[in-house]
Amino acid sequence: MYSKELLEQIFIVENTRESRFNRKIPSLSGEKKNFLLETFHPDFKASAFRTLRVGVNRGDGTVHEIADLLEAFSIFDYRDIDFEIPEAETDVLVLGGGGAGITAALFAESAGAKVVLATKLRLGNSNTIMALGGMQASVGEEDSPVKHFTDTVVAGQFKGKKELVKVMVSDGPQIVKWLMDLGVNFDRDEKGNLLTKMAGGSSVARILSIGDYTGLNIVKILKDEIRNRENIDIFEFSPVVELTTSEFGECNGAVIFDLERKQFFLIKAKAVILATGGSGRLHIQGFQTSNNFGATGDAIVLAYRAGAKLEGLDSFQYHPTGIVYPDHMVGVLVTEAIRSLGAHLVNSKGKRFINELETRDVVSAAMIKECEEGRGIVAPSGRVGVWLDTPVITEKRGKGFLREKFPALYRMFRRIKIDIENQPLLVYPTLHYQNGGILIDEKGETTVKNLFVAGEAAGGIHGRNRLMGNSLLDIFVFGRRAGLSAARRKFNEPGKQTLNHVDKYYKELKNLRITTVAKTPRIFQEFIVVK
Amino acid sequence: MPDKKYVTIFLEGRRIRVPEGYTVIEALWDTGHDIKRGVGCLSGLCGACAVAYLEPGGKRVKFGLGCQTIVKEKMDITVMPFFPSRMAKYDISNMEKPIDKLLEIYPELNMCKSCGFCSVACPEWINVSKVMSYLKDGRYEEATEMMFDCILCGLCASRCPRGIAPQIISLFVQRAIEKDRPVPENLRNRLKEIEDLKDEEIWGNILKMDEKSLKDFCEKVRKESD
Repeated sequence: MYSKELLEQIFIVENTRESRFNRKIPSLSGEKKNFLLETFHPDFKASAFRTLRVGVNRGDGTVHEIADLLEAFSIFDYRDIDFEIPEAETDVLVLGGGGAGITAALFAESAGAKVVLATKLRLGNSNTIMALGGMQASVGEEDSPVKHFTDTVVAGQFKGKKELVKVMVSDGPQIVKWLMDLGVNFDRDEKGNLLTKMAGGSSVARILSIGDYTGLNIVKILKDEIRNRENIDIFEFSPVVELTTSEFGECNGAVIFDLERKQFFLIKAKAVILATGGSGRLHIQGFQTSNNFGATGDAIVLAYRAGAKLEGLDSFQYHPTGIVYPDHMVGVLVTEAIRSLGAHLVNSKGKRFINELETRDVVSAAMIKECEEGRGIVAPSGRVGVWLDTPVITEKRGKGFLREKFPALYRMFRRIKIDIENQPLLVYPTLHYQNGGILIDEKGETTVKNLFVAGEAAGGIHGRNRLMGNSLLDIFVFGRRAGLSAARRKFNEPGKQTLNHVDKYYKELKNLRITTVAKTPRIFQEFIVVK
Repeated sequence: MPDKKYVTIFLEGRRIRVPEGYTVIEALWDTGHDIKRGVGCLSGLCGACAVAYLEPGGKRVKFGLGCQTIVKEKMDITVMPFFPSRMAKYDISNMEKPIDKLLEIYPELNMCKSCGFCSVACPEWINVSKVMSYLKDGRYEEATEMMFDCILCGLCASRCPRGIAPQIISLFVQRAIEKDRPVPENLRNRLKEIEDLKDEEIWGNILKMDEKSLKDFCEKVRKESD
């Protein structure tokens, strides 16, 4: 339920709704877009960035939170571990149990490899389940992989690697077929064709969905499938804390921490797939996040210590519509599909200020501008936001439409006595996605041999901004590719497991007189309740 | 800032004091409980943080999600991060008509007596009991649609006096009926095009383009769609 002050503000939104109804806001010109981004997008805030002093990417700029992560020592003392006797030996070790990890494990197993999957939380607990809106794949008649390619590189400001984007969009339809063969029931139209929806920044309707619970339903089915496979062993509540390398510097396993028993154990593998996701829980630049509790950027620090090159870690996606009120829902996302259907973004004067279907970076920058220039709405907690006027959709499509099309969203707010059909939502840009990551090639392999990466941890695909629905696609495409390529390494001789790369990295830190109390990987962010 | 108000709650029988307005998970963290199981997305979607609680004066135990349930004075709470549910083994990819095998795979479905305990527990407000009767009657599409919102928290299974796991059975049905539907025409056509290497020449050109010509190319292609 809204507070009295907010209800008064909502009054303004209601009074101006009709006047906003038929006004069209044109799309911004390229020049204006750039100016808006450079002035208000967090990626352009110079004081939030610094230059890396160690490792392969020395000299590159990144945000302080990521630099702190990389310029740090491990929290653990590995002297207790017996490196001669691993707890388990396998062909492929998959780290991370979200969409990318499960997909990689399934494909590696199908290709005849023995697989161990270790994950920090419960299997499937990941950002994948929170991908509500849908997945891009060019299946529509008007559409083509080439069109999908152009939309993706334009959104990424031409910073994505062409080869990787090509692979992603061309594999798309095949991935859809694979998912459907596993029993994933995408929405269909009357003719039985796959239903496609519009998304911001896309030139054609291309989003496939399962109601407003797309990611969740895919993960449920993948989980059901992986539990039915003979050759996949699953370790839950077992985050990876370090990779191991052979004397030649090739990746050959990992040190895992058993959260329940507070013990380390070693897994030896012929190839390793890192799929531990992004870094939203680092709360970069103090932003609220939509990310899962476990998204602490572990993959980048582990791979970096092992010598893998990173790409594009100076760019993050801020999803425009994360909840600001009530407090316990801060950061929960309202899907972009709501804006695709015509919901308005409205400031405290009751005015629209941006075409809601611009790409996410532009919309976020415009919202930050409104709030910084004093046209935001202040919640009781002191957080500021703008209104997402959902009742506009009710006026256009009739009563019951939102309730029927977005049951999850409707219920979530119904619980706290907010009716999204009649009341707007208070939203602010929310740290959503790590655009960069560990650089991969078309096989999903990094610059370290036998180390593969899939999912949000991977970099080079989305450039400086990701299209809605492209991450749900990329986790399956590169999960599959990494899984298949890794399985081909099963005749490798992994050699002795060492932490030589970590020693080397520490030496570099010490030579630079970098002393720090920060310990990484974080595994869990120390949670501070801010109220 | 006005003075913080506090509430006293009981966590697994132990009394703790936390600020008003916290969720169960926040209350646990605030009081130094190191919980890893039972925490996940913090958005009410992953189903990791099922809780059972008794409200003061309440006659029966209620259920919810720890990240979405706000603590109230004198609430008696326990976290239920896991409940064993039977998962059958099957290879759906190689099954001819999987839905016909439903009772072979999950014979316990017919043990359901529609007592309704499962529906009361569901934090997603799914009428699980109705889903189960639909499944028994062969109304699979309707049942599947109702279960779209299921987050696999397992609370329904924990309440079932017959030890049935509705969330797992309906998952098999969801997969099985999709296998019965024909491949969509638009998808089939696109896959054929890709198989025939329809765009191969364009791709060759794209990969050779420098940034300037790529920009022009993209603009042209995107204009065509408008």
